[in-house]
Formats: sequence, structure tokens, C-alpha cells
Amino acid sequence: MIEVRSLAKSFAVPARSGGWRRTRKVDRAAATSPTVDDRRVHAVVDVSFDAPDGRITGLLGPNGAGKTTTLRMLAALIAPDAGTMRVDGIDVVARPREVLARMGVLSDARGLYPRLTARENIVYYGELHGMGRDAAEARAVELARRFEMTALLDRRAGGFSQGERMKTALCRALVHDPPNIVLDEPTNGLDVLATRALRDSLRWLRTPEGGAKCIVFSTHIMQEVERLCDGVVVVAHGRTVATGTVDELLAKTGQRDFEEAFVELAFVAERGAAEVAS
Amino acid sequence: MKRSIAAVAIVLRKELRDALRDRRTLMTVLVSAVLMGPLVLLAISGLVASLEARAEQREVVVAGIANAPTLRNYLERQTYVVKEAPRDFESQLRRSTLHDPVVVVPEHFEAELVRGDVPVVEIVSDSANQRAEASTARIERLLGGFSRERALLSLALRGVSAQVLEPMEVEDRDLASTQTRATRITGMLPYFVMMAVLYGALNAALDTTAGERERGSLEPLLMNPTERWALVAGKWGAVVCVSVLIAVLSCFSFLPGQWVLRSDTLQAMFQYGPREAGLFILLLLPLAAALSAVLMAVAIRSRTFKEAQASSTVVVLAVSLLPLVNVFDLGGEAPWHLWAPALAQNTLMTRVLKGEALDAWQVLVPLGVCAALAASGVWSVARQLHQAAVK
Repeated sequence: MIEVRSLAKSFAVPARSGGWRRTRKVDRAAATSPTVDDRRVHAVVDVSFDAPDGRITGLLGPNGAGKTTTLRMLAALIAPDAGTMRVDGIDVVARPREVLARMGVLSDARGLYPRLTARENIVYYGELHGMGRDAAEARAVELARRFEMTALLDRRAGGFSQGERMKTALCRALVHDPPNIVLDEPTNGLDVLATRALRDSLRWLRTPEGGAKCIVFSTHIMQEVERLCDGVVVVAHGRTVATGTVDELLAKTGQRDFEEAFVELAFVAERGAAEVAS
Repeated sequence: MKRSIAAVAIVLRKELRDALRDRRTLMTVLVSAVLMGPLVLLAISGLVASLEARAEQREVVVAGIANAPTLRNYLERQTYVVKEAPRDFESQLRRSTLHDPVVVVPEHFEAELVRGDVPVVEIVSDSANQRAEASTARIERLLGGFSRERALLSLALRGVSAQVLEPMEVEDRDLASTQTRATRITGMLPYFVMMAVLYGALNAALDTTAGERERGSLEPLLMNPTERWALVAGKWGAVVCVSVLIAVLSCFSFLPGQWVLRSDTLQAMFQYGPREAGLFILLLLPLAAALSAVLMAVAIRSRTFKEAQASSTVVVLAVSLLPLVNVFDLGGEAPWHLWAPALAQNTLMTRVLKGEALDAWQVLVPLGVCAALAASGVWSVARQLHQAAVK
């Protein structure tokens, strides 16, 4: 169960280290975008959502909407300026390690250790989560079977394809069997078959047999949301602009095509924000 | 707390395994840092052996010995073998193909000698030709002996005592022990060992920090419920281990190295046994700890391995140049030497080679400096870690 309320985060524009070019770029951006002013980039302005257990919640938004920043704050990697985040009732800012122990995160950066085998990569994280070596090994084998990558287990990650890397990173994030799973654009770089396999796995994880996990995943791909998500949170320019099921959002916008509905929601948000700024 | 210490061990084990699997880098470091020292030692021993052999040969190369029967007589009485110089001896000396200085006797040597006209005999050498240069003093002494003998003879003929010519006697007394003399040749040994520590730490330090950033594995790593300091301590421990491993290999590689020393004199002078190797390692441990932490602190600020290599050049340069203060003997040993890392270790290792005792202060000052550097390096990495992950 993940609850996020009125989350906000802005970053200072580095004045010296960025040099004059960077400052100029921000100045230009400030003229067109309401999320950038002359000193700070407002990556997340006001994001709120609830992700209940046993459901897949999609965080949908265009590039640069603030999805990755939101998920990074949820993973206690950066501190929010305002707002609260609770995972299974535990405050992320106050007790980050307890939250991380209950959460599996597949972040935007999903680098593996190329000189370690897939098994060693997975077991390393298991041990860091406080699992015993044997338990972590057993879990790695179980996950590998689930994600059809048993043959990969004892190969070094250095030679893996994009899909193989993604699977290994996913196993690594799930090694401690977390009740909450956060995935940042997990299908990036995956082919059709790998995407399907991932979708099947997520659907299974949602079921009571799979552990009735609370799954949050961010994406900018409509089909993914349509096919997978029980609930959708539309984020644009650092704000939550709409929440509901796919059908609810279609009804709200009066569209029959979800892509059209999304464009309308995000576009309206952009226009609205521009009006507020002016 | 208990779990954090367990995490340190987990990170350390993983990082060590990772570093030891990087075979190509390890081999490069091993070849350049571990084999280089003994190889240079071997080359020096070869040179010294050939100089000794030359000194024992008692040969003198002369151009125009036919002009000087008296000189020839003298040289042969000194049991020297006189060899005629090759025609192109000058160019041979320049090319270092002739390894002896050449004595050039003028055409009318004998006549001028008899007349008391002071004939000029040249000793031709090339200061870039080390072997020939090394024999020059010996030949000078030999010819000086001839002059003295001639002078004594003429004085004796006139009934003057030989002491008139030598109102004072000069005798050499060398204060240096055998070991001290040996350090003139083995002085660069600590330098090689220290480079092994540096290059051993360099790659591992860069890989666990900038390398981790470049691979995109730092962000997921920080999403584990592990304390930051435990992650950094584990990484640092692994880098120190790799560095010390290379240092140990390097220190012990000189042991078999000296068995193959070709010069008996050098072998007798070169006092480097398991005890010295052990002391070297003890002295190098704090340096390895400090260097690892400093290199990591520099590298964590770089986004890529390449960028980190560029910024760590400053550290590498400082560690390579500081000991040269000692090697070139700039102004002798000064108290501040103990406060400069690398230079301090070089000074102390040189003392060990000389067979001199180390007092507590000499050991504690560099230890304290290194401990402070290591602590601030680790602290700085831990502080920088989260920022580095998301940038």
C-alpha cells in the first residue's frame, strides 16, 4: 500500500558549475515552461496518488513530467521539499530503511555488475536485504524460473541483451519478496516477447497466489496502461492531473480512444499551467 | 549495528570478487608494478657485475703505445694487459660499443719525456657512456702512478728524499656501512613498491565509485536498506585489500629477485630479507588505506571512469613525485618529510633498507596522517553518495 500526498521537489540550477550556457538554457526554458524559473527547476509540483495492494497502478505522463523524480523520492533517494509518502503506513522520510525493506524498486538506472553472474547479482541484493546466503540463492532460482531465465543464472551479466539485463534487474529488485513493487518504465528497450512476459509476471504478482503485491509502474506508453493497469494516475508538468480507471478517464474526457483522452488531459494541464503562469 | 557490520562484509566480499575478476587490469598492474622492480634490480646487477668484471680484468686500451715503451713497461709491471685501441675508438665510445676509456699517447712521447718537456697524455671517454666513464678514475690513478714513479726516480737520482714530493698522506675512511652504501643502488626499491600500492588501489577505487555511476548500478544499490557508511566502508575495505595484495606481491617479488643478482658485491650489500619485506608491508598499510580513500573521494565526483581517471591524475602525480624529494636527496632528510604521505613511507622504507632503527614518533606521525586522510576520504564519499547516484 503506497500513499503519496502533495509531493513537491525543485532543484537549484547550478550557477557556477553549469557555466553560462546552462544558465542561458534555463532562461530560455523559463520563458516557455511554468516549471522552470530563473533559479530553480520545479520537477515535481503537486503529485498525489494511492496505490492499493493487489492492484497495478500506472503512473502515466509525458517525458519530463516528474515520474522518475517522484519514484526516486519514494525510494528515499532524494528528499522531498513538501508532501508526505507512506508505504504500508510507514513514513518514507522518517524511516527510509524500513520502507526500502518493504519495497522492491526497479529504477530508471538498472545497471548490473558485468563481471558477476546473474545469480551473484541477485544474491548480492538479497544479502544486502538481510537474507541468508542460502535463502537468497533459493529465491534467485525461484525467480529465475518465474521469469524464464534459469539458463542465464550462471552467465556473467557483461554479455547480456537488454531484455536479459531487465529480467535480471527485476529479479534483483524482487529478491526479498517485497509487498510493494515500484517499476520505472520497465518496458524501455524490451521487445514484444519480453514485454509480454513482463506483463504476465506483473499480472501474476497482483494475484493472491503471487502475493497480492502493490505495484506502481511509470510509463509513457498508452497500450501498457490500457492492458495492465487497474488504476491510472496521469502526471503532467509535475502535477497529478487526473486519476481513475481507464474507463473512468475515457468517460471523463468523453473520448473513445485512450491516447486521445491522455493527450487531452495532459494538454489541458499544460494550457492550464501556462494560464496560471501568465 | 550488527546488521550494518554484516553489510560491510557483504559489500567487501562482492567488491573483492568483482575486482579479482577484472583479470586484464590486474595482470597489467601486476606486470607493471610487481615485475618492474625486480627487473630493474636485475638490470642494475648486470651493470654492476660487468663493472666489477672490467675492474678485475686489468686491461688498459691505449692508442699509440708504440710511441711509449717506458709507459708500456710500467703498465706491464702493474700486471696490466695493454690493448691497442681500435682505429675508430672515438665513434665507438660515442655509440657505447667500446666499454673502456682510451689512453692516447702523442707521437713524440718518449723524446719529450726524456727532455722533461711534459708530454700530454689524453684519457678519452664519453660521459654518456657509463661503463667507460666508470673506469676513467681507475685509469687516471694508474697513469698518476706512472708520473709519481718517474718523479721519485729523478729525485732519488739527485739524492732527494721521496717524502719531499709527498709532504702529506691522504687516506680514505668511509663511514657508510655496507647497507648504507647499498641504498645508493637499492634506493629506488621503496619507490617501486609504493607505485605498486598506488596502481593497485587506483583501478579498484575508480571502479567502485565512478565505475558504479557509469554503469548505472549506484542508484539501485542505494535502494537497499543498508546504511550509507556500511556501503562505503565495504567498498573502501575492498580497495585497500586489493592495494595491499599488490603491495605484498611487490614486496615479496624482490626476494626471489635478489637470488638472481649477478654481482656478488651487490648481493652482499643488498640486505632485503623476509623481515624487511614484512616491515615494508607494515609501513605501506596506512598508505594503502589513505590512498584508497582519497582516490575514491576524488572519483565519486566523476560521472564516468574516464573522467575519474583524469581527475585522479593529481593524486597519482603527487604520490609519484613526493618520494623523488628523497631519491634526488634534495636537502637531506627534514622533519616535514614525515608529515607528507608517500614521502614519509619512502623515507622510512629507506631507513629499513639502511638497517637503521625506527622510533615510535617516526612511525606514529605518518600513521596519524594516513588515518586522518583515510577517515576524511571515507566520510567525503559517504556524504557524496546519494547526490552522485541521482546526477
